Amino acid sequence: MNARRAYEILLRLYPRDYRARFSAEMTSAFEEAAAEHRQRGRGASVRFVAKELAGLLAGAAVEWMAKSVTDDTVRGRNLPDRQRMRPPGVSWEDHYGNPPLDVPEDVREAQRCVDASVAGMVRAIADHEFKKARFYSLAERKASERLRVLREKYELGE
Amino acid sequence: MSLADRPRHGYALLKDTEALSQGRVRLSTGTLFGALRRLLEDQWIERFEQEDTSRDKQAYRLTAMGRKQLELELDRMKQLTRAGTARLRASEV
Repeated sequence: MNARRAYEILLRLYPRDYRARFSAEMTSAFEEAAAEHRQRGRGASVRFVAKELAGLLAGAAVEWMAKSVTDDTVRGRNLPDRQRMRPPGVSWEDHYGNPPLDVPEDVREAQRCVDASVAGMVRAIADHEFKKARFYSLAERKASERLRVLREKYELGE
Repeated sequence: MSLADRPRHGYALLKDTEALSQGRVRLSTGTLFGALRRLLEDQWIERFEQEDTSRDKQAYRLTAMGRKQLELELDRMKQLTRAGTARLRASEV
């Protein structure tokens, strides 16, 4: 197992909302620092990776503690609650931050279909185009079902 | 303090912290991003959008409130340094 893989696995110990916001940035910073330490020699590289992995374990514990004691409104300023529905027309990235590394592309695509359908339905209702709204409603139902099947397939939570 | 002069992203912050402390402080990414999360919650820093950077290289900058806090903290440290220096001098006399 390479260092990046181990890093990504330990990142999963963090709260989901924290990962949604920071995992891509953390992995990127880790990779840049790891490349620099590799140039300093094997010993430096091994020490760096060990320190990083230990730091992740400690960091995950701290973040779970912080999540349990921080008011939702304060935490919600910067960390999204992915259990809450995203408003129609707002992209995943804008609402939740960086997409999680562990979500397969077909799941993201299915999520985009659901979002597009909901956005279309809302627009159609606002424009009193109820035939179009029914079309989007059907599309949303199909897309949601596909998303549910994919989430089950990959054993992802809601 | 690393954000006082310009916005920086994660790796640049790691490097700058090491340079500022003359190599004595080497933050892990877990520690750094935990600190960034707290500073974001306190609204002392904010995300800074740069056109030439990808999403996995998000930059941060100080807010006005963060800059004020930094100034207060630096003043506090100056006072502490002055008090410590005065006591050392008094003990030498």
